[in-house]
Amino acid sequence: MDISKNIKIVDLGLKIGKTLILADLHIGYEEALNKQGLMVPRFQFKDLQERLEKILKKANPDVIVVNGDIKHEFGRISGQEWRETLKILDLLARNSKRVILVRGNHDKKLGPIAKKRDIEVVDEYEIGGDDIKGREGKILVVHGDKETRLPKNTRTIIIGHEHPAVSIREGQRTETFKCFLKGKYRGKELIVMPSCNLVTEGSDITKEGVLSPFLKQRLDDFEVFVVEDAESDKIYRFGKLKNIR
Amino acid sequence: MIIYKEKQDSEEKLLNILNPTVRKWFFSRFKEFSLPQLFGVTEIHSRKNILVSAPTGATKTLTAFLSVLNELVDSAEKGILENKIYCVYISPLKALNNDIEKNLVEPLKQIEDIAGKKLGIRVAVRTGDTTTTEKSAMLRNPPHILITTPESLAIILASIKFVDHLKAVDWVIIDEIHALAENKRGVHLSLSVERLQRLSRYTARVGLSATIAPLEEIAKFLVGSETRDKDRGDKERDCIIVDVQFLKKMDLKVLSPVPNLIETEHNIMHNEMYVLMDRLIQEHKTTLIFTNTRSATERVVHHLKEKFPKNYTENIGAHHGSLSKELRFEIEEKLRKGELKVVVSSTSLELGIDIGYIDLVILLGSPKSVARALQRIGRSGHRLHETTKGRIIVLDRDDLVECSVLLKAAIEKKIDKIHIPKNSLDVLAQHVHGIALEGQIHFDEMFDIVRGSYCYENLKRSELKEIVEYLAGKFISLEDRNIYAKIWYDEKTGMMGKRGRLSRVIHMTNIGTIPDETGVKVKLGDRIIGVIEEAFLERLSRGDIFVLGGEVYEFLHARGMSIQVRASPQRPPNVPSWFSEMLPLSFDLALEIGRFRRLLGEKIEAGKTKDAAIEFILSYLYVDQNGANSIYEYFREQFDYVAEIPEDKKILIENYRDEGGRNNAVFHTLYGRRVNDCLSRAVAFAIGRTQHKDVELGISDNGFYVASASKINALAAFRLLKAKDFDKVLSNAIEKTEILKRRFRHCATRALMILRSYGGRTKNVGRQQVSSMILMNTVKRINPDFFIIKEAKREVLEDLMDIENAKRILTRVENEDIAIKEIVTVIPSPFAFSLVLQGKVDVMRIEDKVEFLRRMHKNVLAKISLKQGKKLSAKEEKEIDYEEVWKNAEERKLTKEEEEKKELKIMVWNLKRAPLFAKQEIIDIIDGKKETDISEEFISALRKYRKEIEKTWPKELRKLVFDRVRLS
Repeated sequence: MDISKNIKIVDLGLKIGKTLILADLHIGYEEALNKQGLMVPRFQFKDLQERLEKILKKANPDVIVVNGDIKHEFGRISGQEWRETLKILDLLARNSKRVILVRGNHDKKLGPIAKKRDIEVVDEYEIGGDDIKGREGKILVVHGDKETRLPKNTRTIIIGHEHPAVSIREGQRTETFKCFLKGKYRGKELIVMPSCNLVTEGSDITKEGVLSPFLKQRLDDFEVFVVEDAESDKIYRFGKLKNIR
Repeated sequence: MIIYKEKQDSEEKLLNILNPTVRKWFFSRFKEFSLPQLFGVTEIHSRKNILVSAPTGATKTLTAFLSVLNELVDSAEKGILENKIYCVYISPLKALNNDIEKNLVEPLKQIEDIAGKKLGIRVAVRTGDTTTTEKSAMLRNPPHILITTPESLAIILASIKFVDHLKAVDWVIIDEIHALAENKRGVHLSLSVERLQRLSRYTARVGLSATIAPLEEIAKFLVGSETRDKDRGDKERDCIIVDVQFLKKMDLKVLSPVPNLIETEHNIMHNEMYVLMDRLIQEHKTTLIFTNTRSATERVVHHLKEKFPKNYTENIGAHHGSLSKELRFEIEEKLRKGELKVVVSSTSLELGIDIGYIDLVILLGSPKSVARALQRIGRSGHRLHETTKGRIIVLDRDDLVECSVLLKAAIEKKIDKIHIPKNSLDVLAQHVHGIALEGQIHFDEMFDIVRGSYCYENLKRSELKEIVEYLAGKFISLEDRNIYAKIWYDEKTGMMGKRGRLSRVIHMTNIGTIPDETGVKVKLGDRIIGVIEEAFLERLSRGDIFVLGGEVYEFLHARGMSIQVRASPQRPPNVPSWFSEMLPLSFDLALEIGRFRRLLGEKIEAGKTKDAAIEFILSYLYVDQNGANSIYEYFREQFDYVAEIPEDKKILIENYRDEGGRNNAVFHTLYGRRVNDCLSRAVAFAIGRTQHKDVELGISDNGFYVASASKINALAAFRLLKAKDFDKVLSNAIEKTEILKRRFRHCATRALMILRSYGGRTKNVGRQQVSSMILMNTVKRINPDFFIIKEAKREVLEDLMDIENAKRILTRVENEDIAIKEIVTVIPSPFAFSLVLQGKVDVMRIEDKVEFLRRMHKNVLAKISLKQGKKLSAKEEKEIDYEEVWKNAEERKLTKEEEEKKELKIMVWNLKRAPLFAKQEIIDIIDGKKETDISEEFISALRKYRKEIEKTWPKELRKLVFDRVRLS
């Protein structure tokens, strides 16, 4: 499904021309939970690998942009977490010509890992020109934890960081789903991507306060695109957020 | 063997065992031995296991301690006092522990004065509040009497050095054992006591209990069984039961603030209730008021102060669990000094904390169980042989019937049975870890220790094995195991032991059974205005209006463990107040109420006169004329309306369509909330399975209802339920419920899968942000029957709900001992009314998450298309069934007309003086009954009362009715 002109939703990712954008993989999330005393067994890595393989097969990209927070924590990490991150990076590299990491707030010490695999790390990434047919302006991919100067000629901003999810309610029943959001920011189109963290749905924008400075505004008119689940990658257009709340 | 001691010992026998100094001290303080002392002291002296059951203030604690003090003083005088712990005293409350310490230290001082020398007997309290310095002092010089809580005892048992002091304990005293036995704290304690017994082989167990039944079971809980004898099998330990439960005279009454409980408007009733309370308080010296919830406690204090500012200033106080320790202590102090005229409490003052002299106890609303009523009322006249005085104030007719029957049961000494949790696997995991920390141990020995506890007498080897393997990290791949494993287990030799440097620290900082249901802070700006339960937050959506502490707020958003709200005083709340705090009606009492319904129902059905029926009520229950009259009118209305009175041997199923056009089936099953929880979920599940729709349900003590937008055949669903496969049905039915998720988290915490305290930090927020559902799903991937999931289900079905008694009811239905009647009504019958009013509590999920999403998406599309007034473009959503979309849209259009109808119907129900038949006629008229079908009787009544109707009926309603019968 197209979320905007020339921007297609592919499961948890966005595809623009031959570029695939993914956000917030948070590898090592379960380990972080373990460190907090939550002794959950670890399934995330395997799940993430399978889900990414599916997305990659469907998108068949030339360029992969990870829009921040590939790793959950860069404090003390175990050898195993290190290996897992490299494995995911290899998976991405194998399935594209170029991998770019956009720096997220969890990515303070991304350097060594990126260097090891010779991967570019940037603060933001612009898509324009060849990737888009016609010339209607640039698309800016940025993590979204802090505001940034918008380059001239920006048409769309794509952020992660927020991990948006919506809860859909009927009577006493409530279910939460990952979702994309589309709205405006300083007159430009703003798209918020869901996280690829498969352990949690994310933060429920129908009830929780927002994190990203891009979203400190009225969100009533933001459009909601719900992602079904792992089994199928169906996307459901749920209209404006105010209609769900 | 468990035996009752029927005869008290002679005074001489008691005097004979007392050391002269102790004897002298005793009679310097008391005139004579009390009854519990005459029964108990000699047995405790000879190290027998004993359970003493007596009301509060019956000198139970001194009974237990007299032998202990005697032994200690005697040894001290002879110079043979050892440097060890002689007695471990355990109570559920820290406050009680401090009381006990005071009550031991003082007598010891007096005894020393009499003896004329220091005796060097040490008493110490060890709880979570004990400082490190105090702890190391205890380690160097162990107290002769150690006063502690179940949690601290477990910690002591796992500390390497302190354990040495526990190797020759003579007595372990468990106070307020009735309050522990019915929950997991008691289960936990039962295993600690077994571990203590393993350390000191010859410890005698002393249990002290308030009024409770059955005492045999409490005795078994206290002593457990000896399982080491391989050849002869298990052997129950001996225990003597001393039962001096009903020594106090009781003066009990049920009071209604107004003569007519149904016709009086809410605010008048409310006012009269406070007038009545004030009158009672003023007539007495000190009054203790019990409410059933903490919020009600605050409300009562607030209103008493507001309505009678002269009477209540500094002399009134609230005491409940949400208040800080300091505040509670202050109130207790004031009570002891006699500075308070009245104190309002929820449950926190039920137990035996010393609160000085109380001469009246008022219960607001039903205490829901006879044992609890006696416990609460027993707080007055706090001395043996003095009369206890209790007044129960009722506010509606169900409450009146319930409390009247409760009073009868209390006076006739029919105490409801306690439920002791069995085979709690989460608590077991904690102790297996604890025992392994004590030193290497063989699986068989572990199994024997555990099965010594009454709570685990039927534990299977395989169940213990699963837990041992879990603790050893067997469920995790080898490379990750080191962070999970807390013990090692060698399957070949059967040996196990501590694993990992942190294992002991993790144990000490994470054990306990009380779930920290971490409250969610409610913030208005930066100010914290209160706390709500996490479960309540799960139900809130942005914009929802709810009540907290008597004020109305709008929910804005949540972040972590706090939520933002804004004051919204003008809008009515749309989320019913959460009632998880609500106490469930005990099954035994429920049956008694059902029996009363049957007996009175028979009289009414047999056409007995009003006088005869009222005479019966007066002879059967302990109520006044007003009360009897109200009860009669209530039953009469029910009978006149539907000709059926549901009772213990008759379940009534009442079908009706509500204003929203939803189909409701009300089940009049007066078996208490815990049983109805089971029945309702099973019925909803059965309906869901056959119709593939989510069914909403509401539960109360008197029955339950299920509701759905589509037609439902509730009777057929109920008929499908059979006692023999009820476990399986219900286990499936609760699979997706909120309550299971929440209980799962508690169990995972108890089983040390979620560590409250880890790596030197106590983490709360991070952990809580992970939905319990995610955790549960992960654990299910290990094994859908993983022991923590199994335990969470057991806890929900057996402890929270009451599956055993639910099965009993089903069996009686199968045997036709309970009849089922089905009726259809237009507006709910009088007995159904309060049941229907209380709002939905849950939904039975049948659709899976994805189906739900798809259906909701269609609804959204329908809404959008209706708003835009155009059909959806076929291009966008091919799979949409347009017919259905438009049908949905049309239905939504109707709502305005339906709203009006609904409002009219509410007006009808609020009419003060209209008889029921007339109300039904008006409802039919609103629903469009043909003019020709309107009854003559109704029209002539309209003519007759026309003047009054013009004055009192709302204009819209009057116009509608008069137009239709052409009277305008």
